[in-house]
Amino acid sequence: MTTITTSGLPLEQTVAPTDEPAVATLIGEACKSGTPVYPIGGGTSLDYGPQPVRPGIGLSLCHMNRVLDHPADDLTITVEAGLTLAELNQHLATKQQWLPIDAPESVRATVGGIVVTNACGPRRYAHGTIGDYLLGIRAIDGHGEAYAGGGRVVKNAAGYNLPRLMVGSLGTLGAITQATFMVRPLPTHSALVICDLPSFQQAERLLVSLGHSRTTPMIVELLAGPAQPHCPLPGMPETAVARLAVGFAGSAAEVQGMGNVLCDEWQALGADGLTSITGARVDTVWNWLSESPAMLQMNVLPSRLVGVMERVAKLLAESPLQAHAGNGVIRIYRPSPPVPLLQKDEGSFANLVQNTLRPIATAAGGHLTVLAAPAGVELTPVEIWGPPRPGAALMRSIQKRFDPAGILNPGRLSFGM
Amino acid sequence: MSNTELIRKLRAVLRPENVLSAPSELVVYDCDAFTVERHIPLAVVFPRSTEHVAEVVRVCSAHGCPVVARGAGTGLAGGCTPPPNGVVIMLTRMNKILEIHLRDAMALVEPGVLNLQLTNALCGSGYHFAPDPSSQGTSTIGGNVATNAGGPHTLKYGVTVNHVAGLEIVLGDGSIVQIGPVEDPAMLDLARVVCGSEGTLAIVTKIWAKLTKNPQACRTIRATFASIDDASQAVSQIIAAGIVPAALELMDRGILDAVEAAFALGVPPEAAAVLIIEIDGPEAGLDSLLDQVIALCRNWNPGEVLQAKTPAERELLWKCRKMAVGAVGRLSPGYVIQDGVVPRTRLPQVFRRILEIAAKHRVRIVNVAHAGDGNVHPILLLDERDRDLTARAQAASREVLEECIACGGSITAEHGVGIEKIELMEKLFAPADLRAMHRVRQAFDPAGQLNPGKKFKAICQ
Repeated sequence: MTTITTSGLPLEQTVAPTDEPAVATLIGEACKSGTPVYPIGGGTSLDYGPQPVRPGIGLSLCHMNRVLDHPADDLTITVEAGLTLAELNQHLATKQQWLPIDAPESVRATVGGIVVTNACGPRRYAHGTIGDYLLGIRAIDGHGEAYAGGGRVVKNAAGYNLPRLMVGSLGTLGAITQATFMVRPLPTHSALVICDLPSFQQAERLLVSLGHSRTTPMIVELLAGPAQPHCPLPGMPETAVARLAVGFAGSAAEVQGMGNVLCDEWQALGADGLTSITGARVDTVWNWLSESPAMLQMNVLPSRLVGVMERVAKLLAESPLQAHAGNGVIRIYRPSPPVPLLQKDEGSFANLVQNTLRPIATAAGGHLTVLAAPAGVELTPVEIWGPPRPGAALMRSIQKRFDPAGILNPGRLSFGM
Repeated sequence: MSNTELIRKLRAVLRPENVLSAPSELVVYDCDAFTVERHIPLAVVFPRSTEHVAEVVRVCSAHGCPVVARGAGTGLAGGCTPPPNGVVIMLTRMNKILEIHLRDAMALVEPGVLNLQLTNALCGSGYHFAPDPSSQGTSTIGGNVATNAGGPHTLKYGVTVNHVAGLEIVLGDGSIVQIGPVEDPAMLDLARVVCGSEGTLAIVTKIWAKLTKNPQACRTIRATFASIDDASQAVSQIIAAGIVPAALELMDRGILDAVEAAFALGVPPEAAAVLIIEIDGPEAGLDSLLDQVIALCRNWNPGEVLQAKTPAERELLWKCRKMAVGAVGRLSPGYVIQDGVVPRTRLPQVFRRILEIAAKHRVRIVNVAHAGDGNVHPILLLDERDRDLTARAQAASREVLEECIACGGSITAEHGVGIEKIELMEKLFAPADLRAMHRVRQAFDPAGQLNPGKKFKAICQ
């Protein structure tokens, strides 16, 4: 079993209940005494958000990791929140199914944790994010009361979409105990086309071409800067500034056909340095593209992504960059081995975030988020997420109603209580 | 403040011609397509901008007068029925497509834009707006957001909530909030919580709609079966085989009679049910997938399996399906269309129960269904002048939905709760679940200004 490091949390004790009533009792008692409760899944995102200061109880979901109901012929599954994404997909694979989203560190990342952090990966290009598959939830609110939302059917207009409310809530609206997902048939084959790019203009040209391509990619990743560790791909040639990785999944005929078509389409646009990857090696590359936790994330309009990527690549020459290019998501990784982020000393990490990187994201219609600050760096919510948004008061109002005592992961929500 | 004073203030905000208050003008707004409960509103207003909507909400709020936003009024559950002594905010004049960005696969539209209007504007672009309710020629995108509308192709592509990137909303206190369109990790997913809230959380004044790339190719077939049971078994088996078609629709003999009379589709008279199955995607592999689908149908002794050979033949199939409910007028002076949903494996069971319930209550029920989603639309034929028949149809309706709950399903998949199903919410959800929803409602609209009396009953905490 993986050991979960919770050293950043001010824990007086950690408990690991085995069922929902035990979670409810724990939170109910904590509510009475005003003791904070810190839900812990796989511990992959404990660095995300302001670091909690009030001493409290760690609520580990590690013993709530059962598959509760898998009516495979309905293509749905209900599981406990502490099940990891990898375990979930191993179980589904026995029926040739999967939950087609990805999240970093899937061996540790739990489904509950992925919901509350809205973690995502390359497959969101074709398959969206966890919220698109979340049909129902059960959770324990700040009073210790269990509530459910949604259901176990794939279409449901009864009641409010409480499952969606949980997405990105960082455990502040309830400790999730169960989740029901819509699942999909597991594709039998996958393939990748890698293209080294002499310029960012060429990246934009090829990305635009995907808008009317005869192919249907599953992932569209743009890579720049030094490669992340353990790169299974050959190094980029000196003449290349960036690299596109486009992946396909489906039947053997589909992936082979689409790979060939894409190569033809791109060669017609002057692309060279195209590499096709098929067979078992695809999984290696795919995992490498989806499994690493990032330090910073930018969300921008897809049409502005390449320009932003080019600027960031120049600013942070030592940081690996990876974009879910079709979705406008840029992930900035920690340099490895660790070196200062900027070539010249331009001050603190907070200064870099606030005065250099965030304005670039804002100008591109988007946001910069600090997913994990460097060790020893304490950031304020404004430094982590930027200034409060117009909906901040509404969020606080929702949070206050689900957790009036302020004991569920207190201080984590961006503009929360 | 008197009603006269309220109307005077609304006229000052919107100009007199945009405020209706004469009883003869108001009466047509007393309900939507759910006609059982009606309330004549105090006034009907026609704003043309977000600021108008916000100001109207503020004026009504000061007057303590509830409001309901309304698009085309095609809702089937009474979501747009005016609350007693309420004001109807018509969004039909906010009907402009403001921006289309193909590079970002997004369009910015006002709520009164018709679903089909956006699809038509995208014609030739290689993109479309995926939610395709049968009402798409008349229903508005704002209304689609309010009910989280679906349609045949949502089986593969998802319902409205999956195609909304952002919203501009007006809250119950008249404040304006923009959410999205770029995903914001700092925020809760509020735009998607508003989707499907039936106007009870906020009034949507702009929608950033996600656009979907057109599939490269598609195949559409129609297969006939000797019984609705065989057809629904085939549906369950296709899904169980891990095939998610673009659409998988069922029509029974009853509805086929209406469709034949209206459109002469040419389904053999001995067929008791027909499936319309569409698969789409890259050209490579599509024919082998079609062969698999047909082979699965053959397990259930289909009468004939015909493939649409031309775009015109495909169009006719979809026209028949989407206009099917409209054609029911040929069978009966009135009808109630129900909306229930069950796990896909329970479809054969629920159709059997529908037959039994029809017999028990002596009501004729004909069926269309987004069968691939487990979403059934039994249509109960009635004549509103026949009180006894109407009461039996309502009892049968309720029993069908109770059966959906018993099967692990839900009381609505895409039409919403409105007024019609409000009593059933307590059967579907536990009190704690409803309290959780109530908290969300209070956070968005503490004064209870927005469409009170819909979705679920007010809860005193």
